Order: sequence, then structure tokens, then C-alpha cells
Amino acid sequence: MSLPALHVVRPKTVDEAVRVLAQHGPQAMILAGGTDLLPNLQMRLYAPQVLVALKEISGLRGARAAKDGALRIGALTTLSELLAEPVVRQKYAVLAKAAATVAGPLQRNMATLGGNLCLETRCRWYNQSHFWRQSLGGCLKKDGTVCHVAPGGKRCWAVWSGDTAPALLALDAEIEIAGPAGERRIPLESLYRNDGMNRIALQAGEILTAVLLPAAKAGWRGVYNKLRLRNSIDYPLAGVAVAMDVDGGGVCRDVRVAISAVNPAPLLVHQAGETLIGKKYSRELIERVAHAAIQRGKPLTTSGSTPVYRREMLELYTRRGLEEVWGGRTHSADRND
Amino acid sequence: MHRELIHLTVNGERYEVAVPPQKLLLDVLREDLGLTGAKRGCDDSSCGACTVLVDGLPVLACAAIASCHQEAQITTVEGLAAGGELTPVQVAYGEAGGSQCGFCTPGFMMTIHALLAQNPNPSDAEIREALSSNLCRCTGYMQIYEAIRLAMKRAQQPAEARS
Amino acid sequence: MSTHSIIGKSIPLTDTPGKVTGLGIYANDIAVPGMLFGKILHSPHAHARIVRIDTSKAEAMPEVKAVATGRDTARPYGVLPIGHDENALAFDRARYIGDNIAAVAATSEEAAERAIELIEVEYEVLTAWTDPLVSMNAEKDWIHENRPHNIEKEYKHEFGNLEEGFAQAAFVREERYVAAEINHAAMEPHSTLAVWEPDGRITVHSSTQVPHYLHRTIADVLELPMSQVRVIKPMVGGGFGGKSEVIPLEVITPVLAKKARRPVKITYTREEVFYAHRGRPITIVDLKMGLTREGKISAVAARVIQDGGAFGGYGPVTVLYSGALLGALYDVRNLRFEGRRVLTNKPACGAMRGHGTVNVRFAFESLLDMLARDAQLDPAEVRRRNLLQAPCITVNGLRVTSYGLPECIEKAVERSGWREKNGKLPYGRGIGIACSHYVSGAANPIIRSNMPHTTVNMKIDRDAAVTVFTGASDIGQGSDTIQVQITAEVLGVRPERIKLVAADTELTPVDLGSYSSRVTFMAGNACLEAAKNMREQIFAAVAKKFGCAPEALEARHEEIFVKNDPAQRMPFDEAVVRAIDFHGTLVARGSYAPPEEARGGKFKGAGVGPSPSYSYGAQTAEVSVDPETGEVTIHRVVAAHDCGKALNPVSVDGQVIGSVYMGLGQAMQEQMEWNEGRLMNPSFLDYKIPTTLETPPIESIIVESEDPEGPFGAKEAGEGSLAAAIPAVANAIYDAVGVRITTLPLSREKILAAIREKRKREQAAGGSKKTGGAA
Ligand SMILES: Cc1cc2nc3c(=O)[nH]c(=O)nc-3n(C[C@H](O)[C@H](O)[C@H](O)COP(=O)(O)OP(=O)(O)OC[C@H]3O[C@@H](n4cnc5c(N)ncnc54)[C@H](O)[C@@H]3O)c2cc1C
Ligand code: FES
Ligand code: FES
Repeated sequence: MSLPALHVVRPKTVDEAVRVLAQHGPQAMILAGGTDLLPNLQMRLYAPQVLVALKEISGLRGARAAKDGALRIGALTTLSELLAEPVVRQKYAVLAKAAATVAGPLQRNMATLGGNLCLETRCRWYNQSHFWRQSLGGCLKKDGTVCHVAPGGKRCWAVWSGDTAPALLALDAEIEIAGPAGERRIPLESLYRNDGMNRIALQAGEILTAVLLPAAKAGWRGVYNKLRLRNSIDYPLAGVAVAMDVDGGGVCRDVRVAISAVNPAPLLVHQAGETLIGKKYSRELIERVAHAAIQRGKPLTTSGSTPVYRREMLELYTRRGLEEVWGGRTHSADRND
Repeated sequence: MHRELIHLTVNGERYEVAVPPQKLLLDVLREDLGLTGAKRGCDDSSCGACTVLVDGLPVLACAAIASCHQEAQITTVEGLAAGGELTPVQVAYGEAGGSQCGFCTPGFMMTIHALLAQNPNPSDAEIREALSSNLCRCTGYMQIYEAIRLAMKRAQQPAEARS
Repeated sequence: MSTHSIIGKSIPLTDTPGKVTGLGIYANDIAVPGMLFGKILHSPHAHARIVRIDTSKAEAMPEVKAVATGRDTARPYGVLPIGHDENALAFDRARYIGDNIAAVAATSEEAAERAIELIEVEYEVLTAWTDPLVSMNAEKDWIHENRPHNIEKEYKHEFGNLEEGFAQAAFVREERYVAAEINHAAMEPHSTLAVWEPDGRITVHSSTQVPHYLHRTIADVLELPMSQVRVIKPMVGGGFGGKSEVIPLEVITPVLAKKARRPVKITYTREEVFYAHRGRPITIVDLKMGLTREGKISAVAARVIQDGGAFGGYGPVTVLYSGALLGALYDVRNLRFEGRRVLTNKPACGAMRGHGTVNVRFAFESLLDMLARDAQLDPAEVRRRNLLQAPCITVNGLRVTSYGLPECIEKAVERSGWREKNGKLPYGRGIGIACSHYVSGAANPIIRSNMPHTTVNMKIDRDAAVTVFTGASDIGQGSDTIQVQITAEVLGVRPERIKLVAADTELTPVDLGSYSSRVTFMAGNACLEAAKNMREQIFAAVAKKFGCAPEALEARHEEIFVKNDPAQRMPFDEAVVRAIDFHGTLVARGSYAPPEEARGGKFKGAGVGPSPSYSYGAQTAEVSVDPETGEVTIHRVVAAHDCGKALNPVSVDGQVIGSVYMGLGQAMQEQMEWNEGRLMNPSFLDYKIPTTLETPPIESIIVESEDPEGPFGAKEAGEGSLAAAIPAVANAIYDAVGVRITTLPLSREKILAAIREKRKREQAAGGSKKTGGAA
């Protein structure tokens, strides 16, 4: 379990990093916390010649207020650091809750927010050793021509398995990207391509440098429900982020619901807004959104459990999430009292 | 294979070694520095046996590249018992049965010491949460908690009261 | 009241300092000058003939110092003398995905990895038999030519009169239970370092539970006299049975070392550990049981099919255990067992903690729970009504010498609040109970002989240090410490005075290994005998000085004194010097072989199951079930275990809790997932051993029945409690939501489906008491 031979470049500035990345093109990969990339490299899922380690670049860590009042979080902020930010815990509950479910505490000490948003998609036919994959002749995503999840298809269904992305979609976050053509700022939603093979819309040489949480979303109620077998370490088998702005009378002023781990991208459930905004708590409306969530989510055999069960939990977790932020009902299991 | 000279500060000592630039911190510690305390238990950074401290924070040495940690203070399990005297947690571990086969123990040691350094009085729930990236197949964890509580209790007693 | 000074006291395991400082040495921590790194090429096919192997490109690499193929490991071996069906490197046929085809030793791990990529293998693919029920009807492409229809072994035992038994029953039930395959998942991946010595000997350091069997096998495969082979067990990072037979790397490594004339080390990846496997097989249990109106078990008929994987291994023993240990827990007079071990093209199964007994116990205790409810009896009470009257010999010839089960049930019931909770918790919450037992070592050795199963030597020289030479393998269970305690107790000295030299075939006498919970009982008894023998020699010298009979002396607190005249005393050091004056360096020996009476009946297969003594346990689990998700939360497990005598209580607690923990993992979440012979989850991310967050508080209660033949009354503590954990949870789930899950793991998907099914049935029938909506 060693890494393939390669060069490690440790730029001190974003410009330098962009330059090195642009220079090596597809031969170079970005290394942030390494908790996704390094296990994958040990499994020989990629063969880069250069790793560009962002760790020594200053200014990419921590949270501070941006000019427009948004909260700007550097891409290299670790999830542990993020969870220690009082403002995140107090004002952006859904993000704090989602981040706290990523892997386990040791992984979170290393894992960066940027890395979590750029995570490789996952599939049980893909996240395997070189030997294992070779014994099957590879798959569509790597070294092969057949998708073992949907044989016959030409599309890779490797699943988006990150937890903070749905939370950030629910908060309508934006991201900053630095690249050879300068900086750009885009909604997080447009980063994702919903393609297991080619998950994110970053151009060669581009780096995600920061996440911006809009001031308007501060203080929204939020919940993240995650399906997994173990309460630590495990990737999501389904995830639902719910964020809602509720007025004093219990009317939903605004709401965003996003789902994870059931498609090649984290996806917004757009019907949530259409269905709930301006309405008072209603079980029936919640059911409708839960139903919309399972129209949107397409769990396949990319992951553990069963597609049927994951789909059901997607629906249930959407319902429970909305009940919690809107109806005040909690469903956190009373583990081991 | 191409090698690079790198500097590492481990347990307060400075080392200079020539290693392939991509070599994992875990492998450099074990193979080049002879610090075999940190263990390899898995292939995918999911077991915690390789836990070391980087600037006081517990991390997985199997998901870290050594050459990217040249500025850091690295602590391994070998660095805990300063001057050869076991720490209270190390002592309590034996008494309470925290180790059976011991293979997970170096990893747990690092996580526990970091936890107590940051929060000398964690609740049971905090302990469980903090240890939840470290797998142990032998103990069922109960006696590990017992050891931590024992060490905590002793830390709270004045030194004279101990004998 | 115990009069012991160190027996019965909790002392830290003697090797703890090495463990907590990281200075303890495990196999993969050893590096020697000139060491090469080995890698193994594995089969991508589940079943294929090897037509051609071309290793020339690998051999041409300058970094490569040796390449081995099946031709270099042509002598087959296997843990049982009747089943030498395995070659460390496949000889002509690959039998599972991951089978070992060729191996290289190179100057770096990276070069070795590149080299195996250069080996070309041509395969002719054969039908792969991956489903045991299909495999056992195979008409062609048998996995081993001498095992027709892929049936490894079949047994049929019948005791008492089944017909009569069932006729007496007021309630009869029959159910099929299926358990998924699981792996030991010891934290330490297997590792072997073989050092070829310049004088033609070979020294092998290996993560093994069985140095003696490894010693024999290496000598055999390498065609060396055993006297030329030395096996050393360094610290071992857990075994649970996964290191209790010879694992391919343990043969491949010495073969490479011999070829290269250099030291070679191979350490498995976690994935390779899953291919080496030897875990608990997929088990299909068809169980039928009758219960009289009074709650007495009147007859038990079990048909067991185990999916053994590609080699026999311990298989015949595993399947026999599943039948034999239907016998010694309760008073069962009419018993039928049919067991079948089937070969499939998957990694070989073998011994795993609770060997053979666990899945059958899940079935038994689940079905008994159902019958108890049929009879409207408290499930704890039903168990009480079926107790053995020990000492006794069971219908299937097992000799029970001590029996703490009644007390175990009582204590577990009391501590758990069973009486207040059983059947009385609200919908969604429940409590369950189950019992289990296990052997304290096998009364019959794997390789039949009348030799002792274990021997311990002891030496004291002028430094007055006591050196204990024991072949017993401490794999984390603490057997070294137990032997230190026993020695210290008998000689009346501090444990610090004792040095233990263990598990090195050059220095220590033969011990058969750490499996079937034999070490405390057997090595403990051998050690006890050696220590007593040693004490006699010292007492003889002291008695002479005091002018008393040796029997008048006692050794305690580092002194020897006259029992009824304690003023006459002598420090241990001085006593030793006197004794050496007499005898020269003091040496003593003790050994243990199980008594003839413990060795069981005479029928075919009677050799497995008999033990000099059995441990007993009763357990309760309290759970809640989320009826909308099927998710189970275990709140608390109480496990009472009869270990005879707790020589080291902390250690016994640790063994019991660890057993329960492992049982809960199997109950709830662990499972090797197969897809056409391909293991879908050969990693710690996907093979879900429980983290701290799923592990409930587990409370151990020690029960001491003082076995007449155990050392100081002790018997096993490390396995017996595992089996009860699973049915205790299954029964608790039933109590919580009224559904019976009969397949393992007890996954949420199944529970949810069962809850829905039940609702549907009840709606059709018009409702029942324990339904209800969301809790
Ligand atoms: C055992 C285990 C369990 C895990 N469980 C979870 C889980 O439950 N939920 C979850 O979400 N994740 C999980 N992860 C994955 C991972 O820990 C996190 O997603 C983490 O946040 C990734 O961040 P990183 O900094 O470590 O990423 P890296 O590994 O450094 O990078 C990940 C990917 O993103 C790219 N990248 C990184 N930073 C940038 C950037 N700034 N700009 C552009 N591209 C970038 C890299 O090139 C790489 O392809 C788990 C990992 C492990 C080992
Ligand atoms: S070795 Fe398992 S997490 Fe590092
Ligand atoms: S003590 Fe063996 S794995 Fe923890």
C-alpha cells in the first residue's frame, strides 16, 4: 500500500499552484487533506505524475466575513476547524450538522472543506484495489468498458458521497475558483455535473479557494440526516439536508432541500420551495416534498444496503428533516442511554 | 527510485532522511526512522491504527505524505512516555485492561492523549465520539473507557494523595 | 474466602508496557539486514486450470531475487491430517478469486509489486461453484477431484429417541436460520518474516496462533527436518482463529527465503487478509425442537450446511462442533444432528471465535424463545427448566464437570431488571435473553497421539529469577500473564521475579496452540505442575535447614516459612541458593493431557466436542427499534459468564466483553458480501466492524463454579460468551416489535420489511396488542 512514484510540489501561493497545475495539465492533481486522494492513489485509481499540495498556501484556511456580509470559508479549512467555528454552529446549523457526520474525528482533522466539495465519486465496483478491479476487467470509470451497475449503459453512475455539499446547496452557497484565467465566483450548484466519470466542472489549472455562505441564510433552521451503517467512519448511503427560514407565525419563508449519495451529484430538490414557501406547517405538504426527493434521487447498486431501502430512507429522512425544522419534531435516536 | 532529502521533527528530535517524495508518513516513520509504534491496520484509512499527532492533533499517518509535514511537530506513541516514565493513561491502560492484543493501542494512545490535552474532563459521550475513528477488535472498548476514567480521576487528585 | 495472594487479583497483562509505548514488536515491525519484500500474485478467477505461468519477465528484473510458483510448494498441507488439500501456491488450479498463484521477493515493496504485474498466467476457466446449495449438487468441475459433488464431509448423529421426544412435545417448531459469512478482522494483518540462516536453517517469525503446526508444515513443505526449522511468535495483534492454521504467506515466505537465500518478509494487505480468511462460514441451519407443556425440551433435530470455501481446513471440525455443542448447554436427551460441509470457490472458512457453535446457537436460542412464548413461559424460566444436573455425561458423550449456568441466568436476570422488563416494555423497546457455552480446549488433539498437549519448563538459577519456558501463544488474550500469576502464586514470589519465554520452537516445549480456548486450562495446568515441582525442590532444601517436613512449609510474599511456626522463615533468594547447592540449577517440568474420561464417545466424529471442561454464560440485551427505519439501538448488554475461577478478573471481564462485542458485530452489521465468488467488501471501510458509537455498554458478571480439574478451578473465558449475544439481540428485537429475523445480520432492511409484513398481516386479521405507530 504505497503510492506510485510521483513528484510532490508544495507551492506557497495560489498563483504558483495554478501555474504548476496549468503546466502539467491532466498529469497533475490537487492534494488537500489527502483523505480521499491518498487512499484512492494507494488503490491506483489515478496515475498522476505530480501532486500539488495546497497545505503550505497561507490564506486558504479559516472563516471570516466577506464584504457582502457572506461568511467566507477558505477551502483548506479542515472540517474539525469548521466545526469549531462558533459562527458556523450558531448561524449555519445544517452545515455544522453535515460536517460532523463526515467520516470520523481523525479523518475530519485532516479533511478539508474544499476536498469534501471536490470528492471523487464512489462506487463499489470502483473503490477497490488494482487487483480487484483487474480481476473484472475494470469498469467504465476506470480501465474498462462496462458499467457493472447498469451494464449496457454508457453512463457512469458512481455516486456523490460527500456530506457538506448538500448542506451547502441548501444554504445556496457560492464558491470561489482561482485559475489561469483569474478568479471566478459561481453558485456551488453549478460545480456539479451529475456525471460519475467527470464529477466537477473545474477547468485544468483551477482550484477551489473558498466557500461563501450568504448572509441571508444565516440563522436558518437546518438538519442533515444521513443513512449509514456505522455512526462514524462510514460514507453516506443517502443524505438529506434541509434548511428553512420560518417566520414567527410558523410560515415557511424560504426552504431548500438537497440530497446526497443517491446520484452522481448532490442535487437540490427544487419542488421544496415551490411547495412550501408561504405555507404553514402541513404534513401533507411535507409528504409531497418527500415524494419529490425520491423522484430526484436514483439510488443504484453503487453502494451498500439496497437501492430500495436507500430510496425509502431518502423519503423518510426528507420528511423527518422537514418535520424537525418546521414541526419541531426530532428523531435523533436515543443511542445507548 | 527518485529520492528527496526531507526533514522531520518527530518526538522532539530532528531527522533527515532521503525518501521517495510521495512516501507516506506512516511508512517513513516505520521504515526509515524505525518508529514502528504506529501500525498499519487497513488499506483505506479507516481503522486508526496509524494515528500520530501532527502539531498536537491526531491524524492518520497512512493518509499523509511525509514530505508535506516537514514544518510540523510530529508525535508518535514512542514519544509519550517522556524520560521513560509512563503517562497516567498508559499506566491506567494496563490496570483497566485497555489493551488486549495491543495492535490498536498506539493509535488509541494518540487519540486519547490529544483528547485529554484539549479537554481534561470529557464526558462519556465525548470520549466515545473522540475515539470513534479508532477500531479495536479485542476489547469492546469498555475497558478503554475505564482506563481513561481512571487516568482522569488520578489527574484530579493531588499528587500526594497518590501513592 | 480465597487465600491466594495473586491468583484472583487483577494485574495488568505483563506485556502492557510494550503495547502502550509502541515498543512491543509484532511480526511486521521486524526488519533485518538484507531483507527482501515479498508479494503474491492472486487469481482473478474463482475456478480455473492454470495452463501456463511465465515468470521470466519478473525474474529478469534486477531487483527480483526469487520467484516462486506452485511447483515450489508442491507438497500439500492442511491443518487436519485427513485433509492435506492445500498448496500454498496453487499447483495446477486456482480455486477462488484471490487464490495464490505466484510470488516474488524483491529488494523493495514497490519493485515486488511491479514484478508480479510482469508474471503471465494463462488460465482455462472452469465452472465456479459459489452457492453451497448448488455446489453440493455439482456433477462436474469438482473443486477437489477426491471430493465428489463438492462435499467435504458429512456426519449424522442420533442420540436418544427422536420420535418419542417429539411425541412428548406440546409445542413443536421448525425453522430455517441462515447466517452470513464473517471474518475475524483482527486488527493486525498477517505478517511473516523468514530468515534463511547461513547454516541452512530457517527461522520464521510469524503472526500465528499455532507455532507448532506452522513448524511442522514448513518443515514438511520445504522438505527440511523439523530440527532445521525454528518458528518464533512475536506479539500478535489478535487472532480469533484467523491465525490458527497455517496461512499461505507463512509457507510462501520461507519458500522465497530459501530460494533467495535471504530474509524475506510478506505482510498482507487488509484485502489479502480477507482472501486468507478462515472465518465463520455461511451456515444454513434447519432446526426442529419440541417443548413439553412444562417447558422441557423434549427433542432437537438439526440439519446444518456450512459453506466451507475452497479448502477443508478446520471444516470437518467446524461442522462437528455445530452438532456436538447442541449437547452440553441444556439437558437434551433426544438429539439428532446432520451436518454437511460443502466446498465452494471462495476463500476457505475455518475456525473463528466460538468455532462452529455460534450460528447454531443463534438458531437454537431463537427457536427456544419462540417455543417459550408458545408455552406462555418466561424465556428465562424455560432455560432454567432445562438445566443439566452436573456433574454428568450428556447424551452425546460430553463430560460436564462444573456448571455455573444456573447462577449465570440468575445474575443476568437480576442485573438487567429482566423481571420488570420482559414483555413489559413499550412498543419499540425490548429485552431478550440467551445462553451459550464453550469448550476449555479440545480433549482430543488434531493429530492423534497420547503425548501431552502442552508442556512447561521452569528454571531458577543463582540470580533467583524464575524463567518459565512455555510454548503457549499469547495473542492478546493474556495467557502469558496467567502463567506468570500461577507461577508466582505457587512459588510465593512477586510476578516481577518471573520471566516468561514463550512460543519459540527452539527454546520452548511444544504447545498445540491458541485455539478452542485451551490455553488457560491446559498450559495453566502444565504451569501449575511445573511450579509445584519446582517448589518441592526448594522446600526440600529449606526443610532440611529447619529440620521439618517439606509439607510443613509454605511459600508466600517472597519467603518460605514453617506453617505453624512462622518465626522460622527464609527469604526466597536464600532458599533458592540452598536448593541450588543441592541440585545445581533448578529445573522443573509440568505437562498436561486431558484425562481419558474427558475424551468422549466412540462414534464417528465423537472426537470433536469433548473437552476437559465447559464454560457457561447467560446474557440479556435491551434494544429499541425504530419501526420506521428498522434501525436497532442496543442500550445495554449484561453478560454473566462462568469461567470456573477468574485467575485475573480484569482479563476475564475483557474477554467476556470482547466476545460480546464481536457477537454484536455479527448480529447487527458484519457480513462478507459475495457477487459470483467476488468479495465485494474486502476492506475496513466496507466490512463493518463496530465503532465505539454502535457499541453499547456491555457489563460482564463473573461466575465462578470452580472446576475440579482446572488450574485453581479455572476454565475458559475467551469465546463462550460470543454466541449468546446474537440471539439475545434477536430475541430482544422480537420483544420490541414482534418480528423474528431468522437470517444474520439482523439488518435494518430485514427488520423494516418484517415490521411491514406483520402490520399487513394484522390489518388483514384485525389488529393485535403490540403494534402501534411511531414510538
Ligand atoms: C474512512 C473514510 C471515511 C470517509 N467518510 C466520508 C463521509 O462520510 N463523508 C464525506 O463526505 N467524506 C468522507 N470521506 C472522504 C474525505 O475524508 C472527505 O470527503 C474530505 O473532506 C476530503 O477532503 P480532503 O481535503 O481530504 O481531500 P483530498 O483527498 O485532498 O482531495 C479530494 C479530491 O478533491 C480534489 N481537491 C481537493 N481540494 C481541492 C481544491 N481546493 N480545489 C480543487 N480540487 C480539490 C483533489 O484533487 C481530490 O480529487 C471519508 C474518507 C475516509 C478515509
Ligand atoms: S492504517 Fe488504518 S487508518 Fe491508517
Ligand atoms: S487490543 Fe487488539 S485490537 Fe484493540
